[in-house]
Amino acid sequence: MRRIVAAVGAAALTLGLAACGGGGGTTSSEDTSTAASDHASLVIGELSYPTGFDVNGYSIAHYVQYFNAVFDTLIRQDGDGNLVPGLATEWTYDDARTTLTLTLQDGITFTDGSPFNADAVVANVENFQASSTPDLSNAQYVESVEAVDDTHVAYHLSAPDPMLTTWLTGSFGFMAAPDSFANPDVATNPVGTGPYTLNIDKTVTGSTYVFDKNPDYWDDSYVVYDTLTINYYETQTALLNAIQGNQVDAATFMDVTSMDQVEAAGYTVYTSQLDWMGLLFYDRDGTVDKPLGDVRVRQAINYAIDKQTILDVIQLGHGTVTSQPFGEATAGYQADLDDYYGYDPEKATSLLAEAGYADGFSLDMPNSSALNQDLLSAIQTQLADVGITVTLTDTGANFITDLLGGKFTSSWMQLASANDWQFAQLALVPNATFNMFGTQSPELDALFETMQTGTDEEAAAAAQEVNTYVVENAWFAPFYRIDNFYVGNSSVVVTPAADNASPYLYLIQPAS
Amino acid sequence: MLSFLVRRLLSGIAMLAVISTLAYLLMFMTGTDIARNLLGQNASEEAVAARAAQLGLDQPLLTRYVDWVSGALHGDLGTSWFSSVPVTELVGQRLGVTLSLVFLSTFFAALVAVIVGVIAAVHRGWIDRGLQVGSIVGAAIPNYLVALVLVIVLAIQLKWFEPTGYTRPQDSISGWLMSITLPVLALVVTTVAGVAQQVRGSLIDALRQDYVRTLRSRGLPEWRVVLLHALRNAAGPALSVLALLFVGLLGGAVIIEQLFAIPGAGSLAISSTSQGDIPVVMGLVVAIAVIVLVVNLVIDILQGWFNPKVRIS
Repeated sequence: MRRIVAAVGAAALTLGLAACGGGGGTTSSEDTSTAASDHASLVIGELSYPTGFDVNGYSIAHYVQYFNAVFDTLIRQDGDGNLVPGLATEWTYDDARTTLTLTLQDGITFTDGSPFNADAVVANVENFQASSTPDLSNAQYVESVEAVDDTHVAYHLSAPDPMLTTWLTGSFGFMAAPDSFANPDVATNPVGTGPYTLNIDKTVTGSTYVFDKNPDYWDDSYVVYDTLTINYYETQTALLNAIQGNQVDAATFMDVTSMDQVEAAGYTVYTSQLDWMGLLFYDRDGTVDKPLGDVRVRQAINYAIDKQTILDVIQLGHGTVTSQPFGEATAGYQADLDDYYGYDPEKATSLLAEAGYADGFSLDMPNSSALNQDLLSAIQTQLADVGITVTLTDTGANFITDLLGGKFTSSWMQLASANDWQFAQLALVPNATFNMFGTQSPELDALFETMQTGTDEEAAAAAQEVNTYVVENAWFAPFYRIDNFYVGNSSVVVTPAADNASPYLYLIQPAS
Repeated sequence: MLSFLVRRLLSGIAMLAVISTLAYLLMFMTGTDIARNLLGQNASEEAVAARAAQLGLDQPLLTRYVDWVSGALHGDLGTSWFSSVPVTELVGQRLGVTLSLVFLSTFFAALVAVIVGVIAAVHRGWIDRGLQVGSIVGAAIPNYLVALVLVIVLAIQLKWFEPTGYTRPQDSISGWLMSITLPVLALVVTTVAGVAQQVRGSLIDALRQDYVRTLRSRGLPEWRVVLLHALRNAAGPALSVLALLFVGLLGGAVIIEQLFAIPGAGSLAISSTSQGDIPVVMGLVVAIAVIVLVVNLVIDILQGWFNPKVRIS
């Protein structure tokens, strides 16, 4: 028993020391030998693992590195989001932008010895289209795909898709050996052209994934380690302990409250902004909740939220206050729209009175244990100050299902908005996933048409107009763009991806 | 004794059938949208519908249950919806890790508990009072707190151990021992005092019996009286507590596994339940139910060995 008391005391003491001095020399990363500093091994920590390496498991976001290890993509991205060659060296559209022709690298083989060529691309596209992958909508405009010759492949589209070349840097661009599709173990034994092969003996599904360098890898433009290990951590606490013990070279990180401990352990924190969060209004025609049909009410809610305070309290200031749903990397982004709706509860009250809701009204929003409860009660309090009563209904594990099923007229939400057309498809067009009540206007429809079919310049101008429209008409009440974190120790240099939560694997490189 | 065992075995099988049916129905009663959970918020409705059809979620509940039972009776528990690995393989792999943790923890908890319990019962005094306090404190401190303190002090500050991770014994025996030392320590620290308390109590009762006085009057050395005679008679209640402890540790390992990032059955149970990965949850339910039944059976047999009265009744 005494030992326990002593241990608790020692822990309290060391915690105290760590809090005021950053732990001193004992927590620096140099004096441990657990993570190698040469190119022998790279160890990555993640908070997600893929359902499988088969097409149904294809996913990017926090899963992308597992797939980048074994599969090359047709196109890659650099850290600024520019498209750069992968398995395809060139890509061109025809004038109507409905045929995309790729020129493929010649002489590359899959790790089972079979050749990578136009037929292999066709087989992969068709396998993707027949699957139930979460990214199935990547292929929604692809009518057919044709092997022109061994090194040229043509995607024929039903309508232009401004996102297609970007999709080819992700799930839709993963190239697996066609012979492996029918293997019974296709989900656990991937065959690609990628920099690594999965070491099945050392891999424990759902825990540790070990990859060995592909000795015949075709691309020497970036460093491939001898071994790559991706460790899955179920909790932030376990991941934090692994970081403090310098067990990982690079890792996803989400818990802003322990940022200081991560930095004290000698890690660099890399930041990017991909998502914004705030309130989404769905019933903008007021068919269920009449007040939401009035633009003044939606504007009033925008004015009623003290965004900066919420950002400071919930995210410890790690983000940027905004009023627009388009992210900084998009063409539709306009810096002056960030402070379009300042915090002004008096203006909110007078707008509500103008709209005939001087006595306020009630709104029902969904809740779930996975959501930040402090954030939700801040929203409740601030809206109550202008007379709007928010009740929260628990949705259990079905938060998204209930939302998308149209059970709620508004909600808190976090949405990705790093690409113009992707965001339009996610939340703006009449049949968008997050436009459940199908809000639509002829003016917007014309702009969407231009975004989809116009030249890059026309599309960019249209995106700006769309952005202005949805801000002025208060389709949403964005609070802030949220900082996305990735951490690396001194042995690596990480370039955050422009549109993905975890960096593409080829963006994590040795420091020396 | 044999008919007793057969009865226990039959009731065990009946229990297994009831447990698995209830678990199957409960999993569906939560109404979780499994396909949506699998695919995430950005997936289109078409992708979700395609996945639901692929998993057979569009079939009636009864059809799916009958399919599962007929598969299970042939030893086929299906494939994980989330990790695409056969359930028997996944559960076998994960359960082995958890059982090694739980067995080692039970063993060390029992060993230390007997030593401490005997000393406390024989010497009483400050050791005994320390045990009283210790068992209350041990029961009150959550094991994850103990684990966190162990990690911070022994792994992060002193660097004697790795803070997270698990080395498989087939890869390195010493690595395996290093990787499970802290988890086992955390489990033992929080459970040992309670068992020691039980040993102490029943040993004190045994030492008050007439036969002990008789043995002493015949001049037997005190250590023989305590260790060979009284302790054996005190073993019954302690064994029952140990069985409870073992089953309790199966549950207690859940949080410990999460904290140390150990790929055990506990963390699998948590993640597959929240994901709605029904084949895996059912595999775990069946496997753990079998383990609990077997442990109870073994304890019954041990009880009979320690106490002939149980064999006769």
